[in-house]
Amino acid sequence: MTTVNLNVNGKDYSVEVDGSTRLLDLLRDSLGLTGTKEGCGEGECGACTVIMDGEIVDSCLVLAFQCEGKEIITIEGVQNGDILHPAQKAFIEKGAVQCGFCIPGMVLATKAIIDKNEEPTDDEIREGLSGNLCRCTGYNKMVEAVHRAVEINKEAK
Amino acid sequence: MKKRGIGYGCTFYGTGYGNGFPDVSVAEAELNSDGKINVYVGATECGQGSDTIMRQIAAESFGSSVEIINYYSTDTDIMKDSGTAAASRQTYNTGNALRLASEKLKDRVIEKAKDLLNLNTTVGLKIENGEVFLNSFKATKISLSEIASSLGDEKLREEATFVAHSTEMDEETGQGCPYWPYTFGAAAVEVEVDTETGKVDIIRAASAQDVGRAINPELVEGQMDGGFAMGYGYAVFEDLNLKNGKIVNNRFTNYLIPTAMDMPELEKIIIEDPESTGPYGAKGIGEPVMTYVAPAILNAIYDATGVRMTEIPVTPERLLKALKESETK
Ligand code: FES
Ligand code: FES
Repeated sequence: MTTVNLNVNGKDYSVEVDGSTRLLDLLRDSLGLTGTKEGCGEGECGACTVIMDGEIVDSCLVLAFQCEGKEIITIEGVQNGDILHPAQKAFIEKGAVQCGFCIPGMVLATKAIIDKNEEPTDDEIREGLSGNLCRCTGYNKMVEAVHRAVEINKEAK
Repeated sequence: MKKRGIGYGCTFYGTGYGNGFPDVSVAEAELNSDGKINVYVGATECGQGSDTIMRQIAAESFGSSVEIINYYSTDTDIMKDSGTAAASRQTYNTGNALRLASEKLKDRVIEKAKDLLNLNTTVGLKIENGEVFLNSFKATKISLSEIASSLGDEKLREEATFVAHSTEMDEETGQGCPYWPYTFGAAAVEVEVDTETGKVDIIRAASAQDVGRAINPELVEGQMDGGFAMGYGYAVFEDLNLKNGKIVNNRFTNYLIPTAMDMPELEKIIIEDPESTGPYGAKGIGEPVMTYVAPAILNAIYDATGVRMTEIPVTPERLLKALKESETK
């Protein structure tokens, strides 16, 4: 067992982990943040997506001890108090949600796209979402939602 | 070489369990003490949007917005069985049961309003935006909440059952009317086949679906996109590959499904031809929207290459093999 110190959604934590604990387990089992889903456990589906120091990662592929001193944002941390993140608002407005299993990862992928690119093209959006599999929506409403999230960001400025 | 071709596929599809199997949905509606309408429906929401459209159906019966509906679903402790969320049946079957229950409740609410307003008939009474009023003299009115509070301990609650019309097929002749209603749909796709790599890309795509009436067009479009993506995966990517009864491709590293980069933009055409037996004309489209996609893609591959693929998925290996065989013929 080792202790890892990390910041999740703006809060500092010190958690006991063993060598095989994944970031995904740490989030779900130790911190009770069950918004992050496990789909495949092998880095293919993106359901476990979180943001680590500003970069999208599959939390099933990151070992907990590697998170020492890192800043993590999960789906629970993207909204500002009661105010939804533009990506969340846009997904609702555009009807880009069906069963919802992929949605936490999709929203974080969207956040990562629009944080880095103020004017993403369709191709850039599709590439940005392509690490996240969705069995329900056929992605097109999600692409629209990313465009809408960009607009919401602009309107807020 | 890259070759392009266009293909079409179309289907008709029967709603519900079919073939004479009893297809029964029960729903209930109740006037809540604050004048809102409680609705109890056993339809399972698995992402298709039934929670949304059931509320819309109930609200429509009361001429009001969805805000007046308190919606309860999928709790066997407090509601009856609405049947499975399968066979594309919830919108049509349970939607019908709910519409009937709502209308029965509405009749009772109007009856109460008649008494409370000291009228001698319910004729001319209408419900809109949470109020019952006399259509010819709108000042004569009473709100649903006033009606509810006049009831004391009495509860206005109505239940309705909808049984779909379906008959068994004649096994000898295959004749009969196993389903009602049927829904119709078609897809058109343009593909580009790379004859060197065997890869099939979709350049353009359109999907047209008869929905009877679109209760929620946004959700219909979402289903059409989703159905197209599944049909596309079915046609060219998704290969379980059974060996000795075991699934070979049992993980996403080898069982490939379309990603956002594979999925083309889809032109979605919603065709509305109200179904006289449906709730406000609607039919279900859960499954039908995917059924015509793979045939359209295979036809487009044929148009592009002259090779008729008879096995799916059309993986690059299979397509290259078929292209080679056609050359040597
Ligand atoms: S669970 Fe991590 S990528 Fe699928
Ligand atoms: S909404 Fe169901 S997997 Fe994406």
